[in-house]
Amino acid sequence: MSGSNADLMDVAVTESPAKPKQRRTLSDRTLANLMIWPTLIILIAFNVFPLFYSLFLSFTDYSAIAFREPQWLGFENFQRILESEALWTSFSITGRYVVLSVGLELILGFGLALLIREQFRGSGVITTIILVPMMLSPVVVGLFWKLIYNPTFGYFNYLLGVNNLATPPDFLASRWAGQPTPGLALLAVVLVDVWMWTPFVALLIYSGLRAIPDYLYEAAVIDRASSWFQFRRITLPQVAPLMLIAVLFRTIEAFSKSFDLTMGMTGGGPAGQTEVIAIRIYQQAFQGQLQTGRSSALAYMVLILVIAISNLYIRNLNKAKEG
Amino acid sequence: MKRILFVLLVVLSLILVACGGTTTETPAATEPAAPAETGGEEAAPAETEEEAAAPSTSGINELNVLWAQWDPADYLQQIANMYEEETGIKVNIIQEPWGTFGDRFYAEMAAQGTAWDMVIGDSQWLGTSSSLGHYMNLTDFLNQNEITDTVTEATLQYYGEYPPGSGTYWAYPTEGDANGWAYRKDLFEDPEEMAAFEAEYGYPLAVPETMDQLLDIAKFFTRPDEGLYGSALYTQVDYDGLLMGFQNMLFSYGGNWSDENFNPEGVINSPEAVAALEFYRELYECCQAPGLSNAFFAEVNDAMISGQAAMGMNYFAFFPALANPEVNPYADVTGYFVNPAGPDGQQFGSLGGQGMSVINFIPEDRKQASLDFIKWFASDEVQKKWGEVGGYSANKAVLSDPAFLEMTPYNAAFAETMGMVKDFYNIPIYNELLISAKDELAKFVVGGEGTAQETLDRIAEIHAEMLAEGGFLDQ
Amino acid sequence: MSNFEQNGPGFPVTESIRVDKVSPRARLSHALRAIVVIIVAIIMLVPIFVMGLTAFKSRSDVVAIPPKIIFEPTLEGFVFLLTNRSQLRGEALEEAKANIDNVGIFERIAITNGQSITGPSDFIKRLGNSVIIAFGATAASVVLGLLAAYAFSRFDIPGKDDLMFFILSGRMLPAVVVTIPIFLMYRQLGLYDTHLGMIIVYTVFNLSLTVWLLKGFIDEIPVEYEEAALVDGYSRFQAFTKIVLPQAATGIAATTVFSLIFVWNEYAFALMLTSETARTAPPAIATMLGRGGIEWSAIAAGTLAFLIPVLIVIFALRRHLLRGVTFGAIRQ
Repeated sequence: MSGSNADLMDVAVTESPAKPKQRRTLSDRTLANLMIWPTLIILIAFNVFPLFYSLFLSFTDYSAIAFREPQWLGFENFQRILESEALWTSFSITGRYVVLSVGLELILGFGLALLIREQFRGSGVITTIILVPMMLSPVVVGLFWKLIYNPTFGYFNYLLGVNNLATPPDFLASRWAGQPTPGLALLAVVLVDVWMWTPFVALLIYSGLRAIPDYLYEAAVIDRASSWFQFRRITLPQVAPLMLIAVLFRTIEAFSKSFDLTMGMTGGGPAGQTEVIAIRIYQQAFQGQLQTGRSSALAYMVLILVIAISNLYIRNLNKAKEG
Repeated sequence: MKRILFVLLVVLSLILVACGGTTTETPAATEPAAPAETGGEEAAPAETEEEAAAPSTSGINELNVLWAQWDPADYLQQIANMYEEETGIKVNIIQEPWGTFGDRFYAEMAAQGTAWDMVIGDSQWLGTSSSLGHYMNLTDFLNQNEITDTVTEATLQYYGEYPPGSGTYWAYPTEGDANGWAYRKDLFEDPEEMAAFEAEYGYPLAVPETMDQLLDIAKFFTRPDEGLYGSALYTQVDYDGLLMGFQNMLFSYGGNWSDENFNPEGVINSPEAVAALEFYRELYECCQAPGLSNAFFAEVNDAMISGQAAMGMNYFAFFPALANPEVNPYADVTGYFVNPAGPDGQQFGSLGGQGMSVINFIPEDRKQASLDFIKWFASDEVQKKWGEVGGYSANKAVLSDPAFLEMTPYNAAFAETMGMVKDFYNIPIYNELLISAKDELAKFVVGGEGTAQETLDRIAEIHAEMLAEGGFLDQ
Repeated sequence: MSNFEQNGPGFPVTESIRVDKVSPRARLSHALRAIVVIIVAIIMLVPIFVMGLTAFKSRSDVVAIPPKIIFEPTLEGFVFLLTNRSQLRGEALEEAKANIDNVGIFERIAITNGQSITGPSDFIKRLGNSVIIAFGATAASVVLGLLAAYAFSRFDIPGKDDLMFFILSGRMLPAVVVTIPIFLMYRQLGLYDTHLGMIIVYTVFNLSLTVWLLKGFIDEIPVEYEEAALVDGYSRFQAFTKIVLPQAATGIAATTVFSLIFVWNEYAFALMLTSETARTAPPAIATMLGRGGIEWSAIAAGTLAFLIPVLIVIFALRRHLLRGVTFGAIRQ
C-alpha cells in the first residue's frame, strides 16, 4: 500500500520536469463530452424507447398478444389501481419489506464493515466467502431457502432443534406452534434478503472506511476525543455517501426486483402476506394475460414512488457530502 | 443545448411509438431471429404454391413443436423420432420449463413469431389463443380425417373445442391429464391399521370412494408424533394449484363456477359449493403435512417420497416419479385412486392436459406439414405407441386397451378419471378469474380468514363483475 | 508539493504500530474481531453448504426427515444437469439393466433411474454464453461508466444532477414490465437471441450502477492530486489515467464485481430475450423439472458449477477489494 504511494511519488518526482508539453491536449470541454456521450447515447437509444413506450401503454388497454390497436383509456388504469384495495395492501407490504430489509442490511453491513476493516491473515479469502450469497441467482436462492425453511426436512428448523416437535414452526406459512402468526413469512423472506445483500452494503461501506486517512483519527486521539465523537465526525461523513448509494440501490431493487426471491419462496403467500408489488406486476404483465397496458400503469406508479424516494435519498446524499 | 436535444428525443420517440407501436410485421420479417431452422427453410417460402391436397414434399425437413419441460415431452420426442424414420422429417420437441412455458409462448405470440410450428398448449389457453388468432382452426381438418371420433368426447371438448359447444376445434388432444390420488398401500393394507380403523370408524379401511371416507382416513392417519399425516393437498398460490385442488371437491359436491349463461351468483356460492370449500379447509386444517402451505405437484410428491403423507393429490402426469423406485423409496407400495365422489354421488376430477395446435403465423406449407404430422400422430397405431412409451393418450381405443391399463399402477385410475373430468373457465379472461379466485381461496383455506360462505360470496361478486366487463355475462 | 520525503518504515505497513493499537488489550480485541468475522462467514456459508450437500444427494435423501448430513453421495445431480436423457420402458429398460456393468458411470446412473443418455445437455453451452455475455457487458459498463463518472465528478456539466438522475432511472422500472417493449424492439432490430443484444441490454442496465458507484469512489479522491499533475504539465486525460485510476482501484474492483454478479445471475431478460442461441444459464438452472418435481440435486449441481467462474474472478480481485487507499504518508 505504501508501495503504491511510492510509485506515485516517483512518477511525480522524476518524470514531470523533463516531460515535453503535449500541445494536442483536448480541452476540458471536449474531454467531458467524449466521456459522457457514449454512455448517454446507449442509454437513450435503448432506455428511452421502452420507458416512453411503457408510459404510452399505461394509458391504453393494450395487450401484447391481442393484435388490435391500443385504445386510449386516459387515466382509467391508474384509477383502477388506486381504487384496488388489494394493490394498496401490496404496496404496504412492499414498503414494510423495504424498510425492514434495507434497515437491517445497513446496520449489519456497517457492523460487518467495521469488523473486516482491520486486516488480518486470510481476510481476502474471508471477504470472498462472505460475498458468496450475493453471487447466487435470486431465483435459485428462493428455491433453496424454501427447502431450508421446510418444517420437517429443512435445515433451518433442524439447526434450531425444533424440527421434531409435533407442530414445528412453519415460517413460510406464518405458523408458530400450530397457530397462525401473520407476518412471520414476511420476516422469513426479509431474513433471506438480508442474508443475500448485507455483504453488498458491507463492501461498499468498507470501501468508504478504507478511504479515511488514519491521521484524522490520530488527531482526534491526540485531542482526546471520545469514540463516539470520532465516529460521528470522522467515520460517518466519509462513509455516508457510499452508504446512501448502497441504500438507494437496495431500495430500488427491493421495489422493482424483489420478484424472484419472494415468488420462489412463497409465491406471494400465505394469503398474500408476502405479495410484494413486483409479483402483482408480473401477474398482470404475464401469466397468460399480457395486460401490457395495466401492468405498465402499475409499474409507472411504482416508478414514481421510487423516484420520489430516490430524490429524498439523493438530497441527503448531497447534504452529507457537504459535510 | 442538451435540454433541446433531450426534448427532441422525447418527441422522436413519441412519434416512433405512435406510428409503429403495434407490431404489424409479417412473419417473414422476423426470420433472422428464428432459431433451429436449417437451410431447408430458405427454400420453403419460395414454394408456397403447394396446397393442402398433396402431402408436403416442398423441402420442409424439420418441424418445431413447443411443449413444457417434463417427461411426457421426452416421450413425445421418442414418437417424433419414429416419424423421422418414416418420413425423414425431423420433429424437434422444444421444451420450456413449466414456470415459464406460458410466458414464453405468449411473448412469442405477441411478436407473431414463427419460432415454432406447433404448440402443445394448456387446455386453458384455448379461449385466449383461438380468439386472438394464434391457433389455426382445425375443425375441417379433424372432421375430414375422422380424427374427432378417435378420442373421447370429454377430451375433445376440453382440449380442443372453443367456444364450448360450438363444434369448432383448435387442437388435437395429445396428453390427457387430471387430478388423482396416490396412497400408501402398506399403511392401508396393514392388518393392525385395518383393525384399528374399523374399530374407530365402523367400516373397513379401503380406498375411499366418498369424500367423507377420505376425511375419515386422513384423520386416522394424521399422527404428528410419528411424522405421518393424512393428506397432501394442493395449496399453491403462485398460480393455479390451490384452485385446481379445490375444484375437485367443488365439482364432486355438485357445485360449479357459473351456469351456462356465465352467471356465477348462486352457483359458485351455492350451499354445495360452500360445503365443498369447508370440506377442503377441514381436510387442510386437520391433516395436511407441514410445509405444504404452498404445495403443488413437486411438494406433494416430495411429501409422499419422504413418507410424510399417507395420501396425496396430484396430476397423473406426475405419478411416474412416485412409481419409480429410484426416486421414491415407497414406490412399490404406492397405489392410486380416482377422486372420491361427493355426498350426492357426483364424481369429477380437475382437468389438466394439453392439446396440439398449429400456430397461425407460419407459412402455408409448414402448416400443411404440421397437419400431416398431426394426422400421423392421431392414428391408432401411433397412439398405441404413445401410450406405451408413457404418454397419456386420449385415444378411445388405447384407453380401453387392457394392455395400456395394466402397463403402470396408475393407468387404470387415469383412464377412469378421463371419463369424469371437468375444467375451469377457458375463456380469454380466464386468468383474471383464476387469480382473483385463488387469492380469496388462499385467504380462507391457508390463512383461515373469514368463512367459506363469505369467501365464495366475494368470488361470486368479483367474477360477476369480470364476466360482465368481458361481455360474457348480460347484466 | 513535488518533493515528498518519506519518513517512516520502508516496508509496507500492514499492521498499525500505533501504541494504542499494539497493546495487549488491542491485540485481544483484534483477535476477537477476527473470530467474530469468521463466525459470520460460517453462518453466511451454511445455506451454501446445504446446497453443496444437496448437489450430491439422491432425490429421496433431499427430502428425508430429519435432514441428512451423512448420506450416500451420488452423482445424480450432475448427470441430470449435464445430459439429456430419455425414458426407458419395458424391454428396453430390462436390456439396459442387464448391460449395466459395461457402460460408463454417467450412463450407469441414468439407467438406475430408468433413463438412457441421449447426449450432452445445453448446460455447457449456456455456461459459455453466460461467460461471454456477462464479461462483455461488465467490461463495457465499467469502462463507459468510469469515463462518465470521472467526467461527472470533475467537470462542471450543465444539468449534471438531471443527467445523473436520468442515468439512475435506468434501473427503476421493474424489469418485468420493460421486458415486453424491449422484446418487441429487439425483434424489430434483429437483436433477439443474439450475444450482442444481451450485452447491450445488460450494459444499459448496469450503467446506472457503475456510473453512480464509480462517481462515489472518484469523489473521494481529493482533486489536489490532479491539480498538481496539471500544474506539472500533464493533460487532463493523463491525470485521469495516471493518478485517478490507480487510486480508484478499489472502487473499480468493487464495481466490477457487483456488475458482474448482477449480469451473471440475471434471469428475466435472459429468459425473454433469448431462445436457443444466446441463452444464459440462470433460466435453465432455476427451472429444472424432472421426474415429477423439482430436481433439487440438479439445481444444486448447476448452481455450484455456475458459481465457480464468479468465485474465481472475485478471488482474483480480492486484494484490490480489500486494499484501500492510504493517505497516511501525505500531509496536506
